[in-house]
This record gives sequence, structure tokens and C-alpha cells, in this order.
Amino acid sequence: MTQHRHTALRRGAFIAIPVAGALVLAGCSGSGDEGDSGSTGFSFTYATSNNLESPYEALANAYMEANPGVDIELNPQPNDNYDTTVRTQLQAGNATDIIQTVPGAGQPRSVVELAEAGFLAPLGDASAAIISEGTENLFQVDGETYGQPVDFTVTGIVANLTTAQDAGVDEFPDDFNAFLDACADVAASGKSMVALAGAAAPNTGLMAMSISATRVYAETPDWNEQRAAGDTTFAESEGWQDTLQTVIDMHEAGCFQPGAEGGGFDAITNGLAGGTSIAAFAPGGSAVEIAQAAPEGVQFMIEPFPADNSDAFILASSNYSLSITEGSENQEAAQDFLDWVAGAEGAQIFADASGQLPVKGYEELELEGTVYESSAELLTSGAYAPLPNTIWPNASVYDALASGVQGLLTGQNTIDDVLSAMDAAWG
Amino acid sequence: MTQTPTSATRAVVLPEPTGRRARRPRKRPQGMLAFGHWWWALPGILLVLGIHYASTAVGGFFAFTDWTGLGAFQLIGLDNFVEIFSDPTKIGAVGNTLFLAIASVIITNVAGLGIAVGLNRGLKSRYVLRTLFFMPVVLSPLAVSYIWKFIFDYNGPFNGFLGMIGLEEAIRPWLADPEWAIWIVLVVISWQNTGFAMVIYMAGLAAVPVEIEEAAAIDGANLWQRFWHVTLPSIRPAVAIATTLGLVNGLRIFDQIMALTGGGPAGATETLATEVYKESFALGNFGYGAALALILTLIILVFAVIQQRLTGERREA
Repeated sequence: MTQHRHTALRRGAFIAIPVAGALVLAGCSGSGDEGDSGSTGFSFTYATSNNLESPYEALANAYMEANPGVDIELNPQPNDNYDTTVRTQLQAGNATDIIQTVPGAGQPRSVVELAEAGFLAPLGDASAAIISEGTENLFQVDGETYGQPVDFTVTGIVANLTTAQDAGVDEFPDDFNAFLDACADVAASGKSMVALAGAAAPNTGLMAMSISATRVYAETPDWNEQRAAGDTTFAESEGWQDTLQTVIDMHEAGCFQPGAEGGGFDAITNGLAGGTSIAAFAPGGSAVEIAQAAPEGVQFMIEPFPADNSDAFILASSNYSLSITEGSENQEAAQDFLDWVAGAEGAQIFADASGQLPVKGYEELELEGTVYESSAELLTSGAYAPLPNTIWPNASVYDALASGVQGLLTGQNTIDDVLSAMDAAWG
Repeated sequence: MTQTPTSATRAVVLPEPTGRRARRPRKRPQGMLAFGHWWWALPGILLVLGIHYASTAVGGFFAFTDWTGLGAFQLIGLDNFVEIFSDPTKIGAVGNTLFLAIASVIITNVAGLGIAVGLNRGLKSRYVLRTLFFMPVVLSPLAVSYIWKFIFDYNGPFNGFLGMIGLEEAIRPWLADPEWAIWIVLVVISWQNTGFAMVIYMAGLAAVPVEIEEAAAIDGANLWQRFWHVTLPSIRPAVAIATTLGLVNGLRIFDQIMALTGGGPAGATETLATEVYKESFALGNFGYGAALALILTLIILVFAVIQQRLTGERREA
């Protein structure tokens, strides 16, 4: 009898434990569903390059503070593998509700490419309203908006004016010949005019694009459209030939620090903050980051690259955007957040945290006394073009340019080699 | 007084009655065991098929498409392969891959064999030295490469040393020098992998009887003759394993290049492995990257077949 009772108990346990477990799990699941239905939370993936507070994190924290019921799950990813991570998550259907994207189609995280593949959800009217006129095709596909710009980035030369004065350069040159002369003088004083991360493709590419503002886009603002239509090529373009020749001229004049071909980003940070270099090619926001690492009282300025037989011109555009993923179950909460970011408060928080200009209304800002003082006139007169690679059709064109510039510095490539490679990459 | 074994003791120590022993194979039939073997092996077989063969086959399929890693794709036949073999940078990457694999295998095996012979017997400090020589093998290739990157940095200790001994004209950005960068990569790979070859040769040398060498010495063979005609033929299987494993590992080299040069300057140190990563994951050309990976797989397969043949010779010997 006892034996039978034990057996029955054991059988009962075998059945009861899994059933109880299933009920507990179902209960957990049920409570989760209940929570979701009333939840205003969402998840947010963005790229980060350093240990400073990301402007996206600042946005999320400010939004949560203003909306106590909202819980934002932040998912920062190292910039190096951001593209791989996001594309894998999108493909697998487990991407976060909001992802950081970039305008156009020139990079693996670009709005147009991801939208055309069906991985982004259309955004609301507030997102469309802050897109600058003439740049709609960088954020929209078939009339629907898939990316909301969050910044207005001025890209030129970030100059340490304090170091410049120490090296005898009282005014930053606005003429290319004067710039080359200054390079020689500064090199003679044991410093360098430009700190270059020659081994880092993002920096060599950015340098060439910054120079192209005056050599290509000042005269032909729609050069990219002409290239897309097949009316011109990089190899045929005198402007692009001048751009790369300028790089060689700078190298020969001793504008870069010794060993610049092998330099990393530390060469820029250490050079500008430590006072061994005067300037570096960088987005405007980085001036704020570098200033944080520099001694107090050091003055930084974002200067346009000196013109050569052309008008002054600079690169300025929205270079970052936010998108809602197609599979998101919290699209409403995510769109509410984007609407807030598009407003004056959100835009200003992002601008303050990133060191860039706010996405809307920058034309009316008083920029005197800020790092943007030298570029203010160009911005108000409209003498600027968007970052070229946001308009290029794929990431390989920029890669060919960035790698090619390093090859120019090491003597591996000629100008024709680089421009032909860019044309081949364009497809 | 005699002791009778307990049932537990009997079960462990004593032979069982003849009848039961004879019956057991029939009572626990081999069919069940064989059936059990299949089931036990099944998860492993499925994992191998799924992870190795199926994923490789799917990856191989994408080599014939224009897939960007997202959305739809089209079959484009051999276009990716035509593009690869008409692009000088990709041909250069194949050349760099073979150069690094072959040169590193020669250097690591010659150095590894030399160290193994030197530390085989006799030397009192050989155990400490073996550990020191093997230590780089267990270190992370990335961590090691970043240290070497610092050493060869323009403002690093190597250039500092050159300046100190009066060789200022030799100072250069070594890892951004198109002629020298690949040699620096080779130095780092060889430094890290020599210990692995050494261990294989030490295992081989341990199996060589001292008596054979002594007999050769008595017959008048000098040190070199003993090594060349007695020791080396005796460790031929170790040579086969060390060279082929080193070659296959050399063909897959990736971490050190990414950390040291990132494939630069201007592609001067790109290999097939770094190109696969760059094209597939950085530039979003997944189909093209898959084609490069397929070529790398085929090259490794050729060397794997060579390894199989050498292993076969060892068995026959």
C-alpha cells in the first residue's frame, strides 16, 4: 500500500511540477502582456565612440524626466560594429524600437537603404517638418519620411587658436597659399598646422570632403546629382583633381605632423588638446569634446578650409537621424519621443550635448563668440553644401576616397588612381 | 575463520557465474547499444551539419548573388568572382594572404624546431624557458598586436631606440609604410606562433630514443649529421602537422592585421580574411564578401588536403 502511495505521489509530482511551472511562466507572461498594453516605454539603439555622455543618452534622460511614466531602454553600441549589429538585428527581427541612422544611402546605416529594404516605419508629420528644404530625398522614400534629422553639423577645420597664436599664426589663413606658408612656419617651430589621423579612414576621407567644399561644391553645388545622372565622373572632374592635389600640396609643405600617415584619432585629440598641432579636420561637435580635454582658457574655432581661386564655402548638413523600426511594437511611444525631439526643447538639448547646431532655427542664432563664429556668415548666406557621402550611392565610394588619400600620402597612389577607384565604386 | 564477500564486493571483484556472463550479451543486445549510439550522436551530428556544412553551403550560395545583407537579392552568376579577379587590390590581398601564410610557417617552424631541439634535454633551465617561449601562444592576438602597434608607432619605443643609436634616417611610421608594414605584421605573427610549433616539435622529439642518436655518434656522425639524418627523419610526422596547421592558421590570419594596420596603408596589408570582413560587414557587400570567403575556403581546402596526405604518409610509415 505504502509503495503504491509513493508511486502515486511521484507520478503526481511529475505532472504537478511542470504544470505549476507552466502556470507560473504563463502568469509572468500574462503580467508582461498586461504591462505592455499600457506601457509608454520603448528601446533605443545608438552608436557611441567614447565614454562621454552621448547626446542620445542626454535626450532620453531629459525625456524620461519630463515624462515620468516613460521607460526608455538604452542600447548604446560601439561605433565600430554599430552597422553590423543593427543590420543583423533588423534582419533577425529583434531590433530596438528606435535606431540611430544617417541620411541618404551612402552608409550601411543609411535611411534610404534601410527604408527601401522595408526595415523602417514611416514617421509622422513633425519629423517631416524639420527636414531642410532640398534634402528631402535623404530622409524620404516615395514621399514617406523614414528618418528624422537631429542635428545641423558644420564640418571644416577645428582650430586651436591659442596654439596658433603661440606658433605665430595670429589669424587663421583664409587663402590657400597663405595657409601653405603658415604650415612651413609652424613646422619650423616644432609644431604642425594639421593633426591628421592618416591611418583612420574616417579622418582622411573627411579631410578630402572638407577640401572639396571649395574645390568642387562652391562652383557646382549639384555636382553629386550630375555624377548620379552620369554627366560627369570623379576622374573627369577638375574640382576633385584639385581637391586631391591640395592634399599632396599640404603634405609636401609639411602641414601634417611627422608620421601622419600612420596616425590614429589619438593624434588629433592629443595634438589639439596638448598644443602640438593647430587644427584638425573634424565635425563641429568634436570641438566641444576636444575642448573638454584641453587646458582651461584654450580657444577653439571651426574654420572653413581656405579657398583657392574660389569663393569661401563649407560643408554643413544634418548628418544624423533617428528612425523607428518596422517591427516595433511601441511605435506610438517611439513617435511621441521623436515628436518631442523635433521640438525646440529636444533640439536644443541635443545641440547642447553634442556641440552641434540645433536642427532647426540655426540661421537665427547669434553665433558671435561661439566656436561657429568664423562660419556664421557662410551659414547665413547659404554658402554650404551637405556632406557629400550622404548623397553618394554606397559606402564603397567613400572607402575608396579615404583609402586613396592615405595612398597619396604614402606615395602608393596617384590622383587618377584614387578618382578612378571612386568611379568604379560608384557603379 | 573464513570471510565471505558481501554482495557489493562480489559485484565488483568476483567473476560472475558462467551462465549469467554467457547470457549477458544476449540479454543486453548490441542492437540497443547501436540504437543508443545513434541517438547519442544525433545532436552532435545535427550541430555539425547545421553549423558547419549547412551554413557554409548557404554562405557559398550568397557568393553568386548581389545581396547587400538586407532585403532581396538577385542571382548574378560568376560576376562577383570576375570582379574579384579583375581588381588589383583583391589580387594583392590573395598575394598577401599566401605570403603571410607561407613566410610565417617557414619562420615559426625553423625557429620552433631550433628552440625545441635546444630545450629538449640537457639545459637545466629548459622548463622555465619552454614556458616563456610558449607564453605568447596563450595571449590574446588582439592584446599582443596592440602592444606591438605601440612599439612600432611613430612616437613609439622602436623609433626612440633608432634615434638613440643615431639612426634617425631610419625612423618612419613603420605600420603605415607600404614596404615595411607587411613585414612588421609577419614579425608579430611569427613571434606569437613560434611557441606553438615548438610544443609540437618537443612532443615529436620526446619520442626519439636517445640510443639512436648515441649509436650515430659512436658511428662518427657529427652534431649536424645526427640532426639531419637521425633526428629530423624521426620527427617527420611532427613536421607535417606543425607546417600544415601553421599554414592553415596563417591563411586565416585576421586579428593581428586588424589591430596593427587595419589592412592599410591603402590596402598594402589586406588579406582575404580582412577583405571578407570589410566587404561583408563594413561596406554591406555581402554577396561579394561571400565570394571572397569562398575563395579563401577553397585555398584552405587545398592545404587541408595536403595535410590529409601528409597524415596518411605518417600512418603508412
